[in-house]
Amino acid sequence: MGWLVLVFDGLLAAALIWLAWQATHTPGLFRSVISFIIFGLLMALAWVRLDAPDIALAEAAIGAGATGALLLSALGRLVATHEEGAPWQERRDLYFWIPAGGALLGLLTLAAWMLPSPGLGEQVQDALPESGVQNPVTAVLLNFRALDTLLEIGVLLLAAIAIWSLGRMPLPSAPAVRSPALPALGRLLFPMFVLVSAYLLWRGSHAPGGAFPAGAVMGAGGILTILAGAQPWLTGSVHGPWRMLLSLGFAAMLALALGVMALGQPFFAYPPGLAGLIVLALELAAGLSIAMSLVALYLAGQPPDHWEGEARGE
Amino acid sequence: MTEVFAVLVLLLLLNIVVGLARVLRGPSAADRMLASEMFSTSAVAILLLLAFILDSPPLLDVALVLALLAALAVVTFVGRAWSDLQSRQSESARGMESRESD
Repeated sequence: MGWLVLVFDGLLAAALIWLAWQATHTPGLFRSVISFIIFGLLMALAWVRLDAPDIALAEAAIGAGATGALLLSALGRLVATHEEGAPWQERRDLYFWIPAGGALLGLLTLAAWMLPSPGLGEQVQDALPESGVQNPVTAVLLNFRALDTLLEIGVLLLAAIAIWSLGRMPLPSAPAVRSPALPALGRLLFPMFVLVSAYLLWRGSHAPGGAFPAGAVMGAGGILTILAGAQPWLTGSVHGPWRMLLSLGFAAMLALALGVMALGQPFFAYPPGLAGLIVLALELAAGLSIAMSLVALYLAGQPPDHWEGEARGE
Repeated sequence: MTEVFAVLVLLLLLNIVVGLARVLRGPSAADRMLASEMFSTSAVAILLLLAFILDSPPLLDVALVLALLAALAVVTFVGRAWSDLQSRQSESARGMESRESD
């Protein structure tokens, strides 16, 4: 058995390094994108091997799924450019990048070496009963270090705002072959995305799962419906409230953190007994915001206020 | 039985590594995309087997998410990237022909 594990890990590591090289150094952007998607897939396996199923779940949902769709769509919109010649193909660049990469690797190894040895795992386990959830990762993300999560969701919101402020959403290029299969697939699969997303959110309180994978799966479902020809009704006076979901997670977390402060507690200190309920509510809000943000990012611009064939609401 | 599963996991990973040749050689974008889809399927199988070997139910969820999202990449490819790539290729091919006839 021992040698099997060794061969598996060796193959996985070699394939990952080769794919990373391909993603950055191959001529032709399409090959780079495909290499990056496969890199995300194998990275999820690597996280499984490192005994981190939570990160594997997030990597599978975001790395292999949503990012792949974003990159492929961006590639489809790029104007044909000279694809030959990867940026660092000249040999003299290697004289810089090999020592620089080596130095970075050395510093990271040193940093990993100097980490305090049992880490904070035991303290998290000790405080777990007070957190309101049974999964230590969710406890850290939405209770012990909720401030970090607040900032992360803030970054997503900022990214969506930045992309929307760049201009109007480009009209989607129609697929070459108008196939009835695409809308049918969208109708068939979207309920599955919703179901899996709700399941992951529910799992988050006692097993790997939670707001990030759930939001990513839901966002991927939204991207699928847009690809299948649905109109992203996010703006305009008729559909305005949908846009509010973008900031729901950030607003809910901030309101809660400030609310407990007003009651005389420290920032983000949940009242005992209510922690489980609060974590679940915040997860729901954050998951919805993450899903909406992914769809908003995918649109590559602000969607129009009115769609063709839609009554103008005032 | 676990031993058999472990050997199968290794074979599936070998399958992926050998399949990387298709990503390297192509020749067309569709070949590369299909190879990537084949890897998704293999990764799902690897995760399901690992879930039984390591007795770790969360891996079933990872496999579920991978299986669901594999459809997204291929739909994006067909809907957005492929049609444009194809028309670009045929344009460049036409450009070459016209240059040759000049």
